Amino acid sequence: MRLAVFVSDYKITVDTLDRLKAEKLGIILVGNGVYHTTIKENGNPSPLLKKSANFYVLSEDLETRGISSSNISGNIKVITYSELVDLIFNDYEKLAWL
Amino acid sequence: MATTKLGFIVQRPPYKSENPKLALTHAIASQSVEVYLKEGDLVTADIAFIGDGVLNCIKNQKAMDIYKLTSTETHIKMALLLDLNILVCKEDLARFGLTENDIVIDAEEFGAEMKTKVVPFSEITKMMEEVNHLLFF
Amino acid sequence: MGKLTIGCFSSLVGSMTLDFAVKLCAAAIDKGHKVDFWVSGNGTMLSIKDQRAFKDYSALEKPLKELMAKGLNVTACEACAEARGYHKDNTMEGFKRHSMDWYLASAFDADRVLHIGGE
Repeated sequence: MRLAVFVSDYKITVDTLDRLKAEKLGIILVGNGVYHTTIKENGNPSPLLKKSANFYVLSEDLETRGISSSNISGNIKVITYSELVDLIFNDYEKLAWL
Repeated sequence: MATTKLGFIVQRPPYKSENPKLALTHAIASQSVEVYLKEGDLVTADIAFIGDGVLNCIKNQKAMDIYKLTSTETHIKMALLLDLNILVCKEDLARFGLTENDIVIDAEEFGAEMKTKVVPFSEITKMMEEVNHLLFF
Repeated sequence: MGKLTIGCFSSLVGSMTLDFAVKLCAAAIDKGHKVDFWVSGNGTMLSIKDQRAFKDYSALEKPLKELMAKGLNVTACEACAEARGYHKDNTMEGFKRHSMDWYLASAFDADRVLHIGGE
């Protein structure tokens, strides 16, 4: 399945994401999930970013939290709400908000 | 005639959050959805308890006696009575030191024929692949 | 064009999750998609009319009314609303109230379902 998982928290309280299997996995960082893109706790990038997935982050939620999209590494695509709608309809068939 | 399959995935323990109860009550609502659909069309609901969510399934809950609230156990039994497919992750039960003896397996007192199925996570993955839409609680 | 069904169970005030959901509804409608929006649990707080729009609290009545005018179909879980003292007479105009099967019926012919759980 082509599955898009929305991550809206920095501290994830469930381990579901580690166990999900998908032919194509997208991780969409929204809300406080956007901190995964830049915060380096004790100098280390978020372990979430080590997953084999396509990463996206919502630009409006980055800006809301004072994070510039220019600081986002190239493997994370910065998207708008409008682009998120296209992702939902065109790239993934199932959606999960954890 | 068409059928849409929904997968309800419960990943949090009961009571502190309303999520698990709402997963069950919404899944149970699949039994009355026909009023909105054309004749022959169906919505089915499979429910899977994973992670900390398996704690919802512990039997002998006394929420009604103590807080006058329908227990999650009763909601699970209602779902069994309505023939919903309920899966409980075997690995997560084991992680908590729980066995089939500790959880709601049937609702015979309600007249339910359906039973809870304790399955490996791989079976739950299969269910997630087979349904049309996923709802995580 | 497709149909997106969004369910949101989070409170209006506190997490900004409903703010996200409403903005996503707007973006989808702007692209010509049909959107059904279901609120349940604490999310039913969204249905109350005449909420004062302080700058310190999420206030979504205005954008929601604009979206309803553009075709957004928005419904609250009636039992969840009544349990919280949100009655029909203080529900926003155009905001429907139904039992939970409405959400499942909406999912029946949806191309995509985004279910956002609550607290």
